[in-house]
Amino acid sequence: MIGGRRPLRGRKPADRRVRVERPHAPYFRYMGAGTLVAKPAANVPLTPGGRLLRRVRTVVFGRPLSTEEEIGERLSKTKALAIFSSDAISSSAYATEEIMRVLLLGGASALFLSIQVSIAITVLLAVVSLSYRQVCRAYPNGGGAYIVAKTNLAPIFGLIAAAALLIDYVMTVAVSTASAIAQIQSVIPAAYDFRIEIAFVSISLITVANLRGLRESGNIFAVPTYLFVGLALMIIAIGLVNIVAGTVVQVPPVDAVPFPPQNQLEPIGILLLLKAFAGGSVALTGVEAIANGVPAFKPPEARNAANTMTAMSILLGILFVGLTVFAVAYGLRPTLPGGPSIVALAAAAAFGDGSPLFIGFAAATALILFLAANTSFNAFPRLAAILAEDGYMPRQFSFRGDRLAYSWGIVLLAAVAFGLLWAFGGDTHALIPLYSVGVFVCFTLSQIGMVKHWREVRETGWRWRSVINAIGAVLTAVVLVVVVSEKFRDGAYLVVILVPLLVAMMLFIKRQYTRSSREVAVSPDIVIRAPYREERAVVPIPGLNRAVVQAINVARSVSDDVRAVYITDDPDDAARLRADFERQVPGVPLVVVESPYRTLVGPLLAYLDVLDSAWPPDKASPITFVVIPEYVARSWWERILYNQSAKRLRSVLLGRPHTVVVAVPYRREDPALFEAALGGERQERPGPDAPPGPRSDGPPTGRPPTH
Amino acid sequence: MSDAHAPAFRRAVLALNGGSSDGRIVRLAAEYARQTKAQLVAVHVVEIDWTLPLDADIAGRSEEVQRVLDMAESVAEDYRIALEPVLLQARDVGAAIVDETTERGADLLVVGLPYRKRFGGEFAIGRTIPYILQNAPCAVWVVRDPINEEPA
Repeated sequence: MIGGRRPLRGRKPADRRVRVERPHAPYFRYMGAGTLVAKPAANVPLTPGGRLLRRVRTVVFGRPLSTEEEIGERLSKTKALAIFSSDAISSSAYATEEIMRVLLLGGASALFLSIQVSIAITVLLAVVSLSYRQVCRAYPNGGGAYIVAKTNLAPIFGLIAAAALLIDYVMTVAVSTASAIAQIQSVIPAAYDFRIEIAFVSISLITVANLRGLRESGNIFAVPTYLFVGLALMIIAIGLVNIVAGTVVQVPPVDAVPFPPQNQLEPIGILLLLKAFAGGSVALTGVEAIANGVPAFKPPEARNAANTMTAMSILLGILFVGLTVFAVAYGLRPTLPGGPSIVALAAAAAFGDGSPLFIGFAAATALILFLAANTSFNAFPRLAAILAEDGYMPRQFSFRGDRLAYSWGIVLLAAVAFGLLWAFGGDTHALIPLYSVGVFVCFTLSQIGMVKHWREVRETGWRWRSVINAIGAVLTAVVLVVVVSEKFRDGAYLVVILVPLLVAMMLFIKRQYTRSSREVAVSPDIVIRAPYREERAVVPIPGLNRAVVQAINVARSVSDDVRAVYITDDPDDAARLRADFERQVPGVPLVVVESPYRTLVGPLLAYLDVLDSAWPPDKASPITFVVIPEYVARSWWERILYNQSAKRLRSVLLGRPHTVVVAVPYRREDPALFEAALGGERQERPGPDAPPGPRSDGPPTGRPPTH
Repeated sequence: MSDAHAPAFRRAVLALNGGSSDGRIVRLAAEYARQTKAQLVAVHVVEIDWTLPLDADIAGRSEEVQRVLDMAESVAEDYRIALEPVLLQARDVGAAIVDETTERGADLLVVGLPYRKRFGGEFAIGRTIPYILQNAPCAVWVVRDPINEEPA
């Protein structure tokens, strides 16, 4: 075999052929002129520890997916509905109750207005979802309110929308997890003592599922979502049949919240209705998630996202209004703390208390409340990635992990949400006022942005589209004002503090990236020529050993002007080294710097400064290569024992002007290579009278004078 | 073609010429190999003229030559079929393909035939295909490029 070419005989003597080895083939594939594509083998860790970690990661998260497989990871409409809508759909489990709790203050007759309020909210939902359908089509790269506000209003409005949404997504995870734990507590009271542990486990499971990629999380989360939807629709159907047939049996109130005394009843006026409207508007949280994640859909992405948005809104509208009609028809009333929720009462009335369907629905409700967090796990990382691509977040957030998921965003969301739950002892009631404020900030900004968008593009139907968006903007702005004014003292003021803080942070990051890219930019009109500056190499040595010789040879290959620098506090030691060095490494001057204060770094830096000052002022400064010999550590403890001085040298030289630091690692595993590779010649050793050279077989940097 | 009609083979050698027919024959073979779980070997032969030694460093240095086999491997991967790429240097392409097929015990050899015309308009089959048809120990499929396609 000659240079990877193996000769083979043919059937006839003249038919010889040579099989050519292809060393790149296991690791790379040529896909174009000068373009190599890495294969999975190129990513296999080389150390046993790395390989073990890789195996564990594969078991937990699945095998790494290539970028080409991204299209296979896209979501169908049914899976996307489950993934992106779990937050919105789960809110139908408590939105009716939020309305009724407010209207209760107006007395029994006010409760009947729940249906009208829920219809009004559904109209708002229709307007918002119509608007977001347009957003999906107009901005198919995702980004939702952030992109709409940034493009049509001003970047600062985009950042306000993004900041509000990021806060909201964190809240969604924390609050929905806490709500789900509360549901479990109502069945198993002992769970209260383990609420932090349950929260940790549930957030960890959702995190792992999302790190496994979109398609798999869709598979995992679709069943509970559709189970909840199916059973909730059954409750509504049973209720409607009974209403039509006139066979509704009123549910006697048990542990119900009492009506206020007659003289303390709130008047049934616009204020009470607005409060109820604001309370029930939590149903709209999560609606925007689809518009953020349009690229996650199978092609045609924008159309599929828009249709999923419509399906979600119709489903949410039916569930919300249907459950409200059921609750009013059956005379259901919100209960005191610890009592069953309105949907639980509705399930008991429809399926029978304790029936298998009732238990199934209770389990599905708890599950979908957990899964409401999953919408945030899809929306938050995507929004963070878009912000990172625009330079408003650290770039790592735009990188996709092994499974094509935005791992950094997923992990950050999980960490912050769990941190909140832990800090608040698993009771996030205090955080709820913050929840939904952000969403309405985004709704309002995106609707105003879309009005401007239609007025600018003026495509077919722009008038009626802008009218819808304008109505939506006014309605959501009103709800925003009501929500903020109602919940300001309870904690909504935190949003007023947090949003500007986040916006300031994003602007700071953007400024940093802009400045650094300006500093390193290469003007397009410049043609880069070969460098003309002179070069010199300085090799700080700890003695004479193989690592030093290798470093000197590397330095010789870089420049003809090479000098070794030996810093010591022992003149006799220096004299011995000089004798050996001049004999064994001819042609390379050795500079001995005596360091009476036993320091290494200071004298070396001073020596480099002196070299610079001695350079003729009429010539451009040369590039100084500081070539540092290092050992390749064979184990973790060798990393502690060796190369410490080299590390210090590297760190202090890193920012020095006109200086390049070159670390030359020496592998002790290949001693046989030394003489062959370095081309050393054997000489007779000096006689016994000659002074012995300094012992320098040890590591290059493990010697005095510095420690 | 349904499974029942899939031509059965155990191991097929695909002779790639770096032309437009390469993708076609890899896809065709991969389609059948998937049904019968057969092995595929893609062979690309670089002809070395007599002015150079046979083991001259030619094919290994050429990105274009490597790309022929890498492309085949990539197409086979789309079908989730393993394909062994083999790069050869030889004086005679036909003989090298036949010898490699014989050595590997393949029961099918698939070759691509670009549609070319001689000066004067007569269809030109070249000398490699007739040699293969005459000497190959196994079944041979010849996949000709469509007429309207530009010759490679």
